[in-house]
Amino acid sequence: MSQDGLVKVPIEVYRFNPGVDKAPHYAKYTLELAPHTPVLSALLKIREEVDSTLALRYSCRSAICGSCAMLINSKSRLACQTPIGPELAVHGRIVVDPMRNQPIVRDLVVDQAPFWKEYERITPHLIPDPRKPMPENEPNPMSPEEVDRFHETPRCIACGACYSACPAVEADPAFPGPMALAKLYRFAVDPRDGAHRERMMRIQPGGLWTCLRCHLCTSSCPKDVRPSERIRDLKEMAIRVQGATEAGSRHAVGFKDNLTDRGLLNEMKLVRQTDGLLGMIGQLPQGFHILRKKRELLRAPPRIEGQEEVRRIYELLEDEGEDRP
Amino acid sequence: MQKHEVLVIGAGLAGQRAALAAAQAGRDVAILTKLHPLRSHSGAAQGGINAAVGAEDSVDTHIYDTVKGSDYLGDQDAIEFFCREAPKVVVEMEHFGTIFSRAPDGTLARRPFGGAGFPRTVYAADRTGLALLQAIYEHLSTARVTVYEEWDLVDIVVRDGRVQGVTAYDRKSGRFDGFSAPTVIIATGPAGRLYGRTTNSHSSTGDGLSVAYRAGAWLKDMEFVQFHPTALVETGILITEGARGEGGILKNRLGEPFMVKYAPNVKDLASRDVVSRAIFTEILEGRGFPGGYVHLELMHLGKEKIESRLQEICEIGRNFAGIDPVTQPIPVLPAQHYMMGGVATNIRGETNIAGLYAAGEAACVSIHGANRLGGNSLLETLVFGKAAGLAAAEYAAKGVPVAVTPADVERSESGVRARMARKDGVEPLAYRNLVQEVMDRWVGIFRDPKELEQAWEALGGVRRRLPELRIVDESKVFNLNVTEALEAEHLIDLAEVVVAGAIARKESRGAHARRDFPKRDDVNWMKHTIASYRPEGPQLSYAPVGYTRWDPKERVY
Repeated sequence: MSQDGLVKVPIEVYRFNPGVDKAPHYAKYTLELAPHTPVLSALLKIREEVDSTLALRYSCRSAICGSCAMLINSKSRLACQTPIGPELAVHGRIVVDPMRNQPIVRDLVVDQAPFWKEYERITPHLIPDPRKPMPENEPNPMSPEEVDRFHETPRCIACGACYSACPAVEADPAFPGPMALAKLYRFAVDPRDGAHRERMMRIQPGGLWTCLRCHLCTSSCPKDVRPSERIRDLKEMAIRVQGATEAGSRHAVGFKDNLTDRGLLNEMKLVRQTDGLLGMIGQLPQGFHILRKKRELLRAPPRIEGQEEVRRIYELLEDEGEDRP
Repeated sequence: MQKHEVLVIGAGLAGQRAALAAAQAGRDVAILTKLHPLRSHSGAAQGGINAAVGAEDSVDTHIYDTVKGSDYLGDQDAIEFFCREAPKVVVEMEHFGTIFSRAPDGTLARRPFGGAGFPRTVYAADRTGLALLQAIYEHLSTARVTVYEEWDLVDIVVRDGRVQGVTAYDRKSGRFDGFSAPTVIIATGPAGRLYGRTTNSHSSTGDGLSVAYRAGAWLKDMEFVQFHPTALVETGILITEGARGEGGILKNRLGEPFMVKYAPNVKDLASRDVVSRAIFTEILEGRGFPGGYVHLELMHLGKEKIESRLQEICEIGRNFAGIDPVTQPIPVLPAQHYMMGGVATNIRGETNIAGLYAAGEAACVSIHGANRLGGNSLLETLVFGKAAGLAAAEYAAKGVPVAVTPADVERSESGVRARMARKDGVEPLAYRNLVQEVMDRWVGIFRDPKELEQAWEALGGVRRRLPELRIVDESKVFNLNVTEALEAEHLIDLAEVVVAGAIARKESRGAHARRDFPKRDDVNWMKHTIASYRPEGPQLSYAPVGYTRWDPKERVY
């Protein structure tokens, strides 16, 4: 660190100008900055002082407009909210790339159309219940407890960092992604919405269960919206409304049945519950493999000691879940 | 070439509310915005929206507070309409799905705000703008409105004394195009980037104001620039007035809660011009912290209250100032925040040009007069967005034939091409900085006649360099140079209007505080400034203030 508190910052920025550049490359810059400087300020300094052709989206610079999501040292986040100091401490440099899971337009700008398409797909507006008209010239009553049920979902600024971070989006184009699902949750717990049931019926076959609970969306969210926790809630709500209709939900329910029954997993039973008898045929190679290596997995496990307590824990959890939507 | 009946420029709260009203009236409506609608600067509004909704409050008190807050420059007839509409538009937004904070009995929670005689600011934690923006965007998806995203407005085409439409630039393709429309609604929001030190977003460059001004629209009261008392020292990031509404206190270096000296009755909740001047005075008189700032203390409110009602402020403190507001004071300093002035309109959003409308911060009705009260700007976007949308729909229904021609588009494009052809000159961001340096240095909270003259002189020099403005980037795809060159031209136009108005107005009223004329002068200056575009610089004239029943009094808080 120099005397005026500035540090030398090596910064590498993904550059690609379609129609001009044959291939993407990283442009390297070295800036002198205070450690608390946000990455966005560093990029704007490059635009002002070195190369004004660098393309990026930005507007509010205070983490409320959601424009400047990008990859900073491989992590999806807002450039305006990421100070360079801690990044340098860990990585020794700053590498900036455009977000993932969306086509690159130029430099750090991506085409967010796939992200917005998923948002549109969850019917992102209140659908009032025609049997319960809203009070005339009066706000709907809503208790502070009902407001709490939204959790942090109203804080979403639609930046797309979660969509960029999500491996399920990458693996399965049908998966709506964390933001759209957190938004769905926001409507599914809104006491003014009259389509809770329909929303749940529609979402379960739409890829809700592709989420593997890696929580990368939650760790990348700049507003602490916690999409993965709300996806968990949606899974419970979907099963409650519709029953277990998907491999994913059947697996979840089967898992629970196994544990409440014996306290241990019965692999054979779980596969049958998840995939059905016919589906088990597809699992035959895996079955032969297990037969050779770990024969005991194919037998029903013994009931564990204290299994009654496991059952009791589940009962308590269910009671607690009663007031959930 | 595109064609619509109602074309809204800008997709913040005013623009979307206008589009919704016009679409519900059955017109073919489009919005043209330089961002995605959800990225509009309305979303950055924190504290709340004023409406006399409970039985204990009254519309009359809201009217009176607003008239007084305006330092008697607001049009009282417009303010009466504004405050009467308030409960209606707030309830509408609740019905559209806004998640407001609630009182224990299930009604809308309200907090005290500066300059208000009653706690009438309805809020959604400290992200009220975001909550409203989400809800209007959600509700707008149920109406049929075309949205042109990431297009920059270039020119408004006026022929035969009426609007024909606009020309615009598509960032994604680098293409210029024409949009024919008998009605155009300017809802482009603030021009805060006239200043380097502002709470406003980088996109807040007053595009619609200057384009309308060049097309012949009048700009009103542009010399009235609001400085928000509490912004972070280094970045100018906003710390909501809600922080003081919840009980936050400003203190100087000596630990004195100094607002008691300036506003003995309401102290920290005096109106913004009063608080900003007080902070500045403390610093000028040597009671600021080294480097020149004061403290905003929230610690005494307790962790629970701070983290539940001022959640964004907690994160702003932690992420952007490196302090925890629960345990540490927030270092703050006033920053440019709001333009009371704008495109001159009546309460239907109509301007002096047939077919041209304006609403929200880009407009001046005027309800804020010389100083806007906190919580009245979100309200303004909705009340007058809706009114302008309805008025435009009515006019558009007449089916007046209009057309933007290829020659109009060519004219808009040629200016940009000429700048691209230059091999040397001043780049757009550098040019913008020239304007901002003048405004930051000489056109601040207190206005000194010599400094204003210096500012005028300096802006003349900046204006003379405009032909040197050069676009370096030649790409067709997401070429921000083109956008920034357009913005630079907006800023120099508007800076001239602000300074010309400030030099001419020889009194102190609201946010306009002249060192040489420290008193309000109702005999000579209770009138609106009107600026009209002339190639040689703004031409000023004056218009009377609308009066109903409140006689001007000295303003004491």
